[in-house]
Amino acid sequence: MTAVDPVPVEARLRDIQSITDAALSRLDERELLAELLDRTREVLQSDTAAVLLLDFSSGQLIATAAAGLEEEVRQGVRIPVGRGFAGRIAAEHRPVILDRVDHTTVLNPILWAKGIQSMMGVPMVAGGRVIGVLHVGSLTPRRFTSDDVELLQLAADRAAAAVQSMTAQANRVAVAALQRSLVPSALPAVAGAEMAARYIPGSGAVGGDWYDVFTLPAGQLCVAVGDVAGSGLAAAVIMGRMRSALRAYALETADPAEVLGRLDRKMQYFEPEALATVLYAVIEPELDQMHVCLAGHFPPVIARPGQPGELADVQTGALIGAAARAQRPVTTVPVPPGALLCFYTDGLVERPGELIDEGLDRLCQAVTAQPPEMACAAVLGTLVGNEPARDDIALLMIRRHAGRKTDADA
Amino acid sequence: MPDTSFSVEMVGGVPVVVTPGEIDITNADRLRAALLEAAGRGPGGFVVDMSRTQFCDTAGLHALVLAHKRADAESGAVRLVITGPAVLRIFEITGLDDVIPHFASLEEALAATSGRTEGN
Repeated sequence: MTAVDPVPVEARLRDIQSITDAALSRLDERELLAELLDRTREVLQSDTAAVLLLDFSSGQLIATAAAGLEEEVRQGVRIPVGRGFAGRIAAEHRPVILDRVDHTTVLNPILWAKGIQSMMGVPMVAGGRVIGVLHVGSLTPRRFTSDDVELLQLAADRAAAAVQSMTAQANRVAVAALQRSLVPSALPAVAGAEMAARYIPGSGAVGGDWYDVFTLPAGQLCVAVGDVAGSGLAAAVIMGRMRSALRAYALETADPAEVLGRLDRKMQYFEPEALATVLYAVIEPELDQMHVCLAGHFPPVIARPGQPGELADVQTGALIGAAARAQRPVTTVPVPPGALLCFYTDGLVERPGELIDEGLDRLCQAVTAQPPEMACAAVLGTLVGNEPARDDIALLMIRRHAGRKTDADA
Repeated sequence: MPDTSFSVEMVGGVPVVVTPGEIDITNADRLRAALLEAAGRGPGGFVVDMSRTQFCDTAGLHALVLAHKRADAESGAVRLVITGPAVLRIFEITGLDDVIPHFASLEEALAATSGRTEGN
């Protein structure tokens, strides 16, 4: 065994630091890791270097970048946490050095087939948890030193921070894109009604609010508004699944209780950890009646012409995901000509330190029977004003035209 | 600074989680941990004393619902003590008042829990 030609540790340290600092600002994840591996190989004078990132859903390490060992990535190598060389590093959160590379110490046959004699690997840790493994290998027998381990750990720490920040950024972009794709690009044109909607992302982590409007083949106008507990990509993905499941059930039955009941069963079976409030309303083709079913969601506000807005008197059932076989009461609300219906999520009315009823009162006062675009503007002007909203806000207004043509909204 | 911590104490053999004045996204993780601890210490069920709590957002409700479902699956039960009008109102709006049993005092919640334990 030979120890490799000593390069001053400080110089080697600078090498690693320089690449990651510059890289953070201009490279994407793939480029950064490739550059980092090249430099790591150079600094440690090793023959191979590879990064495996942890896929949290499967609990497997996935070969993501490699130098001198490209086939590992090309073949999509996956190592379960706890098994083999990389799996052990991830499970034990500590560096591992191997002086013998064969099927007894290493799970991945590529490594021993390649003729690697010695290996050293360290965990990549971000936010207190392991997100991957960085390892290097030597084709000639070699004794890795504690200085080598330290250098590799330094490279791994920087790689972890970079990967973490890129993942967070990518998630934010993905959530924003997902949310945009889930909100109807255009509201349906319905004879006799007019509508307007707003979606305002909160200042905190983007959450899982959504709204949907569509018509059924028999002519009913359907409205769904929901709020998934949680935030970020996970909540947005659940929201997307709920939205499409609800649409599918809506096509099967015009009974809102049945739609939400099936949605609840589907969610509890496939996403047992999810919790969401949902309002689902089916408005008759004549637009004179609305059948509403609430799953833990706020009731709609209805403003009749010449009268202040009020909360529709609607019975509620439990949130989606809360209880097996929850009651799903449906309330039929008459909608007179000229009346305005207002659907919303909690971000519009909830303020810390006050009763929710105060927010609901403010909303009712702000909703009047006027054209939907103006009604949206009036409500947001009153309830949001110039304050950045903490939570997401979804707002949808639908107005039934006043009876005679001459009364129709301009 | 308002107290935002959660404690788990044993009262007459029943674990009781005491919640702070506000539960929201910033401390819901700690609520989750306290609920898990209580579930571990009281297989027959436990009590969440929310009598000091004046505000509980969706993140808090989420943690409580998951704890309730876990307990339910293991034939235990979670019982809540709710006195704050804002918290009662949010339970009403979300329909959770029909899902998770809740009481107006710790004594009543404990009586229901230990009664059940003896019954088993």
